[in-house]
Amino acid sequence: MKFIDPHIHCVSRTTDDYLYMARAGVVAVSEPAFWAGYDRSSAASFGDYFRHLLEVEPLRAAKYGIDHYAWLCINAKEAENVELAREVIKLIPPLLDHPRVLGVGEIGLNKNTINEITIFEEQVEIAARFDQMILIHTPHLHDKHKGTSIITSILKNDQRIKPERVLIDHCEEHTIRIARDNGFWAGLTVYPVTKVTPQRAVDILEQFGPDMICVNSASDWGESGPTNLTDTYLEFRKRGHSEQEAVNVFFNNPCRFFGQSPKWKLKPVG
Amino acid sequence: MPDARTILDQQFLEMRWRCLSLAADFDRIERASGGADVIASDRRLADLRVAMRRIAELGGNAGRAEFVQSTFSDKTPAPTR
Repeated sequence: MKFIDPHIHCVSRTTDDYLYMARAGVVAVSEPAFWAGYDRSSAASFGDYFRHLLEVEPLRAAKYGIDHYAWLCINAKEAENVELAREVIKLIPPLLDHPRVLGVGEIGLNKNTINEITIFEEQVEIAARFDQMILIHTPHLHDKHKGTSIITSILKNDQRIKPERVLIDHCEEHTIRIARDNGFWAGLTVYPVTKVTPQRAVDILEQFGPDMICVNSASDWGESGPTNLTDTYLEFRKRGHSEQEAVNVFFNNPCRFFGQSPKWKLKPVG
Repeated sequence: MPDARTILDQQFLEMRWRCLSLAADFDRIERASGGADVIASDRRLADLRVAMRRIAELGGNAGRAEFVQSTFSDKTPAPTR
């Protein structure tokens, strides 16, 4: 069984995690730009971070036979500093043609503030102007439903944005309809405490069907890890779903979404 | 897909364990200084009680997880400029 982890923050993970992923069958990953756990002090810090995403992590991953891609943005949490955010946004367009960049992401909202919405809209503008795919971060916990509604409303109001080129990530039971009913891809993030468990992820796949859903671990510097993706596969198989159905969810679906970029090499199988 | 009895047989010990964990969480809060007041007045615990009542309802209630998510969601309007 080959896997793709469509959302993982490799910069925060150890080499042991790459080794685990390789042993488990992960052959490709996509890494959106995110909050480092602290607010950065200058746009230059983001410039270095983008270089890390585009030059360092692909080499680390390649040592384990894993194809590494990235998404660029300023995350919602640091978007609260509008002046800094605008300096960072200027860094993005010259990098969009890089062979490892799949699009703009993970943009979205954190606490659903006016400043976050302003910077979100400015990054949607970049994606639209440069014809880029978008990876969306939705807020956590009690902010999620409201934030997901605001985000999808902004995207739907921009006629240049094609919903099938947007993945709304961190969907849960109360938000997946918002993504799916509006024609977007939905991401299920299997992550302890704040997101879904392997069991709930498979419940959602069974209730809503597997079309246009990508399952990911969003492993980062918090208590998380790439085993959450493979544990979800095990739960899926334990419930009697076939190997080919698993391939469809854990390999083919990410290939279908990412494959809208000519830079993505893997093709759906079976 | 296994039938309901099989799923329950597979899951019951874990469900029991999760229920006990939550009960012990409430007890730990109540034992601590100011516990009785917090148990009686904290909004988050009130939301938990609403959620638990719904979970315990019988019949025709598939959608418990979505209801619990809604209980813990911010329902205020979006901000305006």
